[in-house]
Amino acid sequence: MPNLTTPDIATTNIEMTAVPDLIETEQRIGLRSIDPTAVFAVVGAAFGAMAFVWLLFTQFTAAGTNIGMFVVWYLVFITMIWVIGREQYDPVRARDLVARVVFWSAGLIIVVPMIAIATYTIAKGVTALTPNFFFQDQSRVGPLSPARVGGASQAIVGTLEQVAIAAIISVPLGILVAIYLNEVGGRLARVVRTIVDAMSAIPSIVAGLFIFASFILAFGGQLSGFAAGLALAVLMLPTVTRTTEVVLRLVPGGLREAGLALGATEWSTTRHVVLPTARSGIVTAVILGVARVIGETAPLLLTTLGAVSMNWSPFEGKQSALPLYVYRLFQLPQEVAIQRAWTGALVLLILVFVLFVTARIIGGRGPGHISRFRRARLAREGLA
Amino acid sequence: MQVIDPSIALEGTTPIEEERVRPVTRRTGADRAFRLTTFGAGTLTLVLMGVIGLFLLVRSWSAISAAGLSFFTTSAWQPDGGAFGIAAVLLGTFLIAFVALGFAVPLAAGGALFITDYAPSKIKTPLVWLVDLLAAVPSLIYGLWGRAYLQPKIIPISEWISTHLGFIPFLKAKPGAGFAASTFIAGVVVALMVLPICTAVMREVFSQAPAGEKEGALALGGTRWGVVRDVVLPFGRGGMVGASMLGLGRALGETIAVTLIISPTFDITRLTHPLETGGNSIASLIALRFSESSSFGISALMAAGLALFVITLLVNAVASLVVSRSRSGASTEI
Amino acid sequence: MTTIEHEVLDLNNPAPELPPSSSLTARGVSAWFGDHKVLERVNLDMPAGEVTALIGPSGCGKSTFLRILNRMHELVPSATLSGTIALDGDDIYRGDIPVTEMRRRIGMVFQKPNPFPAMTVSENVIAGLKLSGVKATKSDRRDLVESCLQRAGLWNEVKNRLGAAGGALSGGQQQRLCIARALAVKPSVLLMDEPCSALDPTSTRRIEETIAEIAHEVTIVIVTHNMQQAHRVSNTAAFFLAGEGEPGHIVESGDTETLFTNPADPRTLDYVNGRFG
Repeated sequence: MPNLTTPDIATTNIEMTAVPDLIETEQRIGLRSIDPTAVFAVVGAAFGAMAFVWLLFTQFTAAGTNIGMFVVWYLVFITMIWVIGREQYDPVRARDLVARVVFWSAGLIIVVPMIAIATYTIAKGVTALTPNFFFQDQSRVGPLSPARVGGASQAIVGTLEQVAIAAIISVPLGILVAIYLNEVGGRLARVVRTIVDAMSAIPSIVAGLFIFASFILAFGGQLSGFAAGLALAVLMLPTVTRTTEVVLRLVPGGLREAGLALGATEWSTTRHVVLPTARSGIVTAVILGVARVIGETAPLLLTTLGAVSMNWSPFEGKQSALPLYVYRLFQLPQEVAIQRAWTGALVLLILVFVLFVTARIIGGRGPGHISRFRRARLAREGLA
Repeated sequence: MQVIDPSIALEGTTPIEEERVRPVTRRTGADRAFRLTTFGAGTLTLVLMGVIGLFLLVRSWSAISAAGLSFFTTSAWQPDGGAFGIAAVLLGTFLIAFVALGFAVPLAAGGALFITDYAPSKIKTPLVWLVDLLAAVPSLIYGLWGRAYLQPKIIPISEWISTHLGFIPFLKAKPGAGFAASTFIAGVVVALMVLPICTAVMREVFSQAPAGEKEGALALGGTRWGVVRDVVLPFGRGGMVGASMLGLGRALGETIAVTLIISPTFDITRLTHPLETGGNSIASLIALRFSESSSFGISALMAAGLALFVITLLVNAVASLVVSRSRSGASTEI
Repeated sequence: MTTIEHEVLDLNNPAPELPPSSSLTARGVSAWFGDHKVLERVNLDMPAGEVTALIGPSGCGKSTFLRILNRMHELVPSATLSGTIALDGDDIYRGDIPVTEMRRRIGMVFQKPNPFPAMTVSENVIAGLKLSGVKATKSDRRDLVESCLQRAGLWNEVKNRLGAAGGALSGGQQQRLCIARALAVKPSVLLMDEPCSALDPTSTRRIEETIAEIAHEVTIVIVTHNMQQAHRVSNTAAFFLAGEGEPGHIVESGDTETLFTNPADPRTLDYVNGRFG
């Protein structure tokens, strides 16, 4: 990264200002300018297609649904753009214009479900979102109890404990496997990488079946939050491993060499150079792993079953979990139960969103980010 | 310790045979422990994967040996009544997955191309974020939203399709069969669920299309669509197949979103009319029957789970093979 | 330049704890990657307290030879070698001294500046202590940071930015930080692999000044493509050359002045005058 500042630039600037009219008349060319003809074609086609749909659905056929009308409108719209494009330009540019409109629509359609899901969940869930949802359990909730009685505290506690158990198991293991794949290597590494890839494809219900078959049936464990945590760990492990491996691969090899050239051991280089350099990426990997399992429902159906009252212990007896709570209440006939289910879904959605944004913020930090805490410690030692 | 006598003459005195050695790096105890620990962790994942298959096999053995080959041909599921098999649920699983991919793959390809080649740079990053965030939304929420919001919107469409396109056999619906809780609706919901994953993988592949070739095509006077058609799509073909397979793997294994939508049926003729009420899948069969099953019933469910496990592993293996092939093989040097 | 004050101060009070610099001797060193031989029976003396320059066109094995000198060569899984390298007479490959200890004695500065991005400037300097688990008191560490940065000619520029990330410095400053980091483990030899090739002329000049400053206390072996630089900084020089499809070997080595002005081999004369390579 040569950083040459030659004095020539300064003199050139002076010369430039000596010719003022040149700057005044300077006019930038819009490189991404919009072609008015194309805009006219698109808008015209949109209205034309609308008129066609109106005719079709009101004058000729009786049946019409909103989405059906939209689909017909869209097809006519695209055809019209193509026809107008051919008239105005040539077939090549007409196809280009059609492709542009189609890809913009695809981009739009990807955005739509997010907005729809988020707004719908918020609208449905916010009515029963009261403090008691977080601080009371479900034990005194009757079928017709109003939303201000009882809550999902037992489910929230259960989810937090189960996810914590999953993280305690799969985060160290996942990071170790990623270190093995990227820092140590060996003949087995290829096989391990393939298997980890395959593991990420395990359906969540199969993970639940596995824990039921092994921990509960074979080893006599009980249906509990711990069993659920084990199932979630199986699902979380590949996410943590794969994401960590990717960020370890991004650590430049020159840093490892620099560490070794200072007389460090491999372990010391990994511990003090590689891992700190990849720190933000590893934190992101862990958070994304948590986000992946926090809303998992299927394995919990087979490992902890759920409970209505608070059970602080993940080792003794059945425990509730937020996804289970939502799943069960949603299938009840009472309006108020479904309302509670939506509130649980909203809390889950918020949790995932918060986790995701945190992961992105931390992941966006470069390795040179020095925390306030660390800066203070260095300052105390006279090193900053 | 060998001491070199500097008086040995330098040039010209070449020994006849060189003793070629690989230097022995003697590792410290800490380093040996480090290597051993990480190696152990790697091996543990291998063992874990083997143990998963093994436990499912052991636990399902009594059901498999009782049913024999009829496990694949029987459509009913009455383990305690004697007749049970995955014919219907397997068919239902694939039907839902195919409906899902039918919607998700073209949309994902379009969306991914929009992000890489059409979106203004300002909205590119937020779009990538949004797709990743969508991929993190629990399938439970897709299921809830699909049943409460989407289903009433789709039923009239199903109705419309079956009245106007009913001449195509499988789009026909029996009079009075109803259109709710169908394979079609479950497929649409699963499509939305796998859409972000497919989009993310395809975007990744398309973004690696060689910039030099793209600029070359533009420099020859090509349009943007020309660039996409002649450079990006051929480059990303393998990646698209791989992404679709990954989506297929997810769709086959999806449990909750499907369970919330479908009304389970084991009737093959009803299953083959995806617009009609009624559908099924292996995962939702396990979820729905698990708590009410006898121990033999659970063994039968384990067998179904084992089948699902093997299928998703195969699909995923093919997917990663295709994706890795396309990345290494398709890149061209400029 | 304000740094002169410090540099003079430093020269008058050489740090007392510095180990004496050592000599390196290579005898019949050949190297392979797999079955591909890249270096043919190299013999070279790198005298203590002097600067030895390795010159020659790209791909002639200079960097491989340099990496053999502190056992970085063996990091490549397929790498093998033969011959002996002796540090003050002790074979570095066959002795009892562990490889980590050997690398501490023979430090290395790389072509591309590579300060540890997750560490601050001061942490980078004392990284060697942390990496090898050496305990040091607060004041020792502070003194080490200051003395090493001064020897690398960087102290005045960064003394108010010790808490900044290592990657926040300019390219030339980063390279001098890497020199300070290498000096902090008190090596008796410092290997430099084209340390200026990624730097602009001003930074290059600062690095050359630093080399001149530290040359009396540590033996330096430097690989460079820059003839003028080799001429300016070194006392001894070795000219490497590889024929078509053949491993690299030393054509000529000896006193720098002689090698540049009156070489024995015509190829050396052609090369130092820029007629090939």
